[in-house]
Order: sequence, then C-alpha cells, then structure tokens
Amino acid sequence: MMLQLRFAKCTGFLALALAFTPLPGNAAGDDQARLSGGLAKFALDSGDPAAALRYTRNLSAEAAVLVRAKALLATGDSDSARQLLEQLSSGQYHRGEAALLLAELASASGDDENAGKHLQTAARLAHGDIRQQALYRLAERHREAGQTDRAGQVLASMDPGYWAALGYMNIAADYGRRDLNPSRALVALRVALAMAEEDSDSSRSNELKSRLLVRAGHLAHKHEDYDKAISFLEKVPLESYSTPQGLYLHGLALSANGNHRAAMQSWHRAKKYPLAYPGVANAWLGTGRGYDLSGYLGQAGEAYLAANASFESERVTLRKLADQIRDKGAYQALVRDARDSNAEWFLADSRTLTQPRTAYLLQFMEDPGAQEAVSRVAELEQIGLQLARHEDSLVVFRGVIRERLESGDHPPADVARYKDEIEALTERMSGLDKQALTAEQQAALRNTAGTLAELGSSLDKLDQRLAQKDQRLSELLSRSDRALERIQANRSRTRRLQERAEAALNEIALAYVDKQDDRMAFALDRTEQQIAHLYEYLAIRNIERGEP
Amino acid sequence: MVAGAQLTQPVRRKFGVTAATLAALFIALVLPSGPGVEADTLDGDIDRLKADVADLSQRLYELEEDVLYPADTQVAVFLTLRDRDGLELDTIELYLNDTPVASHLYTERERDSLKQGGVQRLYMGNLPHGSHQLKAVLTASSANERFVRREVTHAFRKSPGESRIQMTLDAKAPDYEPDVSFQEWK
Repeated sequence: MMLQLRFAKCTGFLALALAFTPLPGNAAGDDQARLSGGLAKFALDSGDPAAALRYTRNLSAEAAVLVRAKALLATGDSDSARQLLEQLSSGQYHRGEAALLLAELASASGDDENAGKHLQTAARLAHGDIRQQALYRLAERHREAGQTDRAGQVLASMDPGYWAALGYMNIAADYGRRDLNPSRALVALRVALAMAEEDSDSSRSNELKSRLLVRAGHLAHKHEDYDKAISFLEKVPLESYSTPQGLYLHGLALSANGNHRAAMQSWHRAKKYPLAYPGVANAWLGTGRGYDLSGYLGQAGEAYLAANASFESERVTLRKLADQIRDKGAYQALVRDARDSNAEWFLADSRTLTQPRTAYLLQFMEDPGAQEAVSRVAELEQIGLQLARHEDSLVVFRGVIRERLESGDHPPADVARYKDEIEALTERMSGLDKQALTAEQQAALRNTAGTLAELGSSLDKLDQRLAQKDQRLSELLSRSDRALERIQANRSRTRRLQERAEAALNEIALAYVDKQDDRMAFALDRTEQQIAHLYEYLAIRNIERGEP
Repeated sequence: MVAGAQLTQPVRRKFGVTAATLAALFIALVLPSGPGVEADTLDGDIDRLKADVADLSQRLYELEEDVLYPADTQVAVFLTLRDRDGLELDTIELYLNDTPVASHLYTERERDSLKQGGVQRLYMGNLPHGSHQLKAVLTASSANERFVRREVTHAFRKSPGESRIQMTLDAKAPDYEPDVSFQEWK
C-alpha cells in the first residue's frame, strides 16, 4: 500500500489560539475563518442552511457572506439576504452571482425594471454557469416582450450548453407559432440540439434532447414534411418522458407516408405506456385507424373496442385517484404513494415510466403552480420532522441535565486521591527519566508527562468547576425549557400551515384529475364515434351485398 | 296582514341582497383575493416559519454542543479536499482507538461541495486527556478510473480545550495516489 502519511502539527496555532479575540489578519483568526467558511459551504450544499447561518455568523470574507446570503434565502429571510447581496454587489469577487440573486429577488417581488438591471450586471460580471443563466434570462425577457431578434442576439453570445439550448428551444416555439414556414423554427431547434449536446450533465442533456426531437418532429409533421419528421423522431431515446409522444408522432408520420404497418408498430409500443402521457390515448385510437386504412376492418373494430375498454378503465382509475385525494390528501395519494413501491431497485428505471400513478405525478408536476404547491407541503413536512427530532433530543437533554442536577457533588476526598496518584506517577517518571532511553521512549515519556501535567491542572480547577456546576446546569435547563416551548409553538404553526398548504394542493390536484377525466371522456367519445362509423359502414356494405 | 307581510318581505330581502352585494364588491375591489393571493400569503407565512426554525436550530445546536460536548473533552474531525479532480470520494469511515465513530456515503452534491472548498465535519465527540489514535478508511475512484481503498492512521494527544483535527485528502497526477495529511488545531 503506497500510502503517504503526513503529519503537520501546528504548534503556532497553540499560542495564537490562546488570544481571546483573533486580530484581523492573524494566522489563527484567518484559519478559523477559512474553516468556518468551508463548513458553512458544505452545510448549505448538503441542505442544512441553519448550520450555514451559524458558521457564518461572524465572518466577513466575501465568499462567506455569499454563503450566508444564500442560506438566508433558503430559510425565507429575503430582506436580510438582499442587504448582504447589495453589499456584495459593490465588492470584489462575487458581484456577478450576487447580481443574479438580486435579479431573482426583484423578479419575485414584481420589480421588473431592477430585475433587468441586475441581470445586465450579472451577464457583464459573472463567469461560467452563472453568466449563462443571466444571459438566458435576459434573452427570455426580450423574447417575452416580443423582441425575438434581440433575444437571438443575446443567445448568439452564449456558450454552448444547457441554458443556450433552452433559449433556442423557446425561440423555436415562438417561430413555430408565428411563421407559416417552419424553416426558422426547425433551424432554432437544430441549434438547440447542438447546444444541448455540450451540456456536461448527461441525464439533463438527454431529457432536453428528447423534448427537442419531439418538438422538431411535431413541427415537421405539421408542415407535412413526413420524412424529416421521421428522421427527428427516430432519434428519440426509448427511456425518456417524451418517448410515448415521440412514438405516437412517429407512427403518425409513417402512416402519412402510407406505411401503416410500421406506424402501427410505433403505436403498439406507445400503448405500453400509461395513458397519462401525451400521445398514448391517440396511439390507442391510431391502432384502430391503422387497421381500418389497411383494410382489416375486423381488427379495426377490435382495436377500437380495446381502446374503449382501456379508456373506461382509466376513468375508473382517475375516479379512484380523485377519491383518494379527497380521503388522504393529494400529497399522500399522488406523491408519497407514487414514491412508495415494492419494486426492486433494479426495476426502478422502468418503473418510473410505466406506473400510472408516477405518470400522473410526472405530468402533474409539469405545471409550475403544482410544483410550488407540492414543494410547499414537502417543505413543511420536512420542517415538522426536523422539529419533532429536535423535540425528542431536547427531552433527552433535559432528562440528562436533571439527573446531573440531582446527583449532587463529588466528595472532595476523590480529588485528593487523584492528586496523590498523579504525584506518584510523576515520581516514577522522573525515576525512569534518569535511565538511558531511546529517542522514541523519551518522546513517549514527554507525552505522558504532558498528559499528567494537564490532568493535574484540570484537578486544580475541579473544585471551582464543581462549585459552579449547579448554576451552570440550571442555566442549561432553563435554556432547554425555553427552546422546548419554542419548538412546540413552531410545531403547531407548522401543522396549521401544512393544513393550508395541503388544502391548496388538493384543490389543484382535483382540478388536474378532472381535466384528465375530461380528456379520457373525449378520447372515449372519439372511439365510440369510430366504432359507430365502422359498424355503419359494415351494415351498409352488408345491405349492398344483400347479406342480412 | 298577510298581503302586507308579503309586500315587505321582498323589500327586506332585496336590501339584504344589495348590502351583501355591496360588501362583496367592496371586498373584491379593496382587498385582493383569489388563489394567487392565498398562495402568496401562505408563502410569506412559510418564509417566516422557516426563518424562525432556522434561528431555533442554531440555538439548539449551541445548546447541544454545551450539553454534550464540554470544551475540555471536545474533539472534532474535519475533512477537506486539496485536489479537485484527482479523486471521486465514495465513502469514509472513522475509528477512534479502533472503535467506529462515524461513516459517510457521499452524494454528488457533497462531492462537488468538497471540491469547491467545502469542509465537512465528520465527527464530534468527547475524549479523555492523553494519547489516542484516529483511523480513517476511505474508498474512492481515482481520475485514472481505478477504485481505491485506503487506511490511514494518526496518533494524537488530547489536551484540555477544544481539539480539532483536519484531514486533507489529495491525489496528484499522474498516478492519483491518495495522500492524506493531518493538521491539529487548538
């Protein structure tokens, strides 16, 4: 094992740490500040903003102030965060990131003018991902104001990657709505695909590329360029959220090219996914239509009947889901139940796309309003759990403190006995010291002598500490009592807020389920019409043939 | 009598309706309402709760340290990374005097945080004065796509006052061999 072990003992810190308050610029103070800053960063990144606030309480370095501002934002104290960010924006190192965060704050409070100014600053001063985000948001502002050309100019100045890809995707959607010719929109989508290719986060890049390909395929199909549509849709990977819609559109384009057999293969594959996904209901209908166009009227009838049964069954599922939302709440029925599964971990990937409840959850979560409503409940649930954990620990602490208070003082004879023992050991050591010792033995002796000296000085202070023990324990007990009261008050507040947040989520979720039910009812209506047309046609044909 | 009553009732009802309508109109015009407003109020209330809970958490943390880890016996072990790209840390286990005291399985976010200068407090506990041994077992994948498992030990003496030990992990090119250095802070 080629392990190198280094040991650097910082004796310099020993002397410096003894100083009550480290002077600005002294080594121990700087190291302490660096340690606290690093601890704060790790705490914030691992989801503990309260600890980050504690570590950064007395820090003034810009990096630590930025971490503190982010922790304040995460704990809901936007006003204090804004003050720190404004301070940083006139600093030296983190002006760009501070400006982006200030832009987000201004945008959240509806101050569009200031949001724009901060974004300009962030785009000018920031680097890397922060700058790309700022530029993307600037481009979006121009696009939303109808200035597509200016948005395009901003996007052209961006580095390839996720944010540029998103920008081009949105511009493509605008072109697609406005232009009669799809060329500009398709070019923008191709650029977006090239930009997404450069995203270092591979799963995010693949998901975005799937969406872009489906959009490009849909656009090409809409403008009757079926070969182009097929070429885009063939590249949609099979394990993405957009796959069912891609398969449906692929089948549609193949069918339009006259290749009904291949079209039906795509639709059959789309039918394997839950009906919640866009395109799946149409794929069920498409199968019947495909048989119909191929001249297999019997199979067409069977396919329509199967679609009918599937839609009916989905409506039952949706009614059950609505009942569960009313009974257990949307958070339990949609989020927790979708999360809890008996499936083995190695099936987890396929499970996410094939479970109806997960499918509804994924689609429900596409709506920003639903995302906010779910995150409110999730956040409050976490706060409730955190407070419950704190309460449990505090009850144990109080028990320990009470026990210590009731245990009484140690007899003074104990101290004397320990002192005698230390003295005897010190004498034995001085006897050993006279003998010829190796360097290693001498070091061990020095070490032991140091420990004995420290134990001696601790014993000297013991009487004084024991005299203050009860006062200190009483002070700790009253701090615990105050904290426990605050925890209990906050737990009740959390429960009340969670009820309100759950009621708001239930309302949105029930409206969503109703909408899905309407969608299924519409699909059912279309299937029934197709069956009626088919039977009508068969009846007329039989009459014409003179059959009964 | 009956006819009179029938005549007066609709007038009262009409007035009642008008008053209610006016009140509703007043509320609708003066006070903002709707699901958006309810969501904003709820968000504001949640933000205030979060700020209070964060403040409470800080105080509880200090109380916990005062109760559980008296300064004279307190020992804390921290981890930092020196090289950003040499190692992808997977797990770490800590032993004090051969007793396992802490272990951690790293997430992507935690790894990134360490690479960007984050410091992790791996362990905090109490030790008596005297000599002790700290052992760390780490598993990681190195930049040259090798899986590595390394054990390092560090002997130290616990003195009165808070003891802090910083472990710094490094892995330099070309062989990306893990190199752990220890620094004691008082």
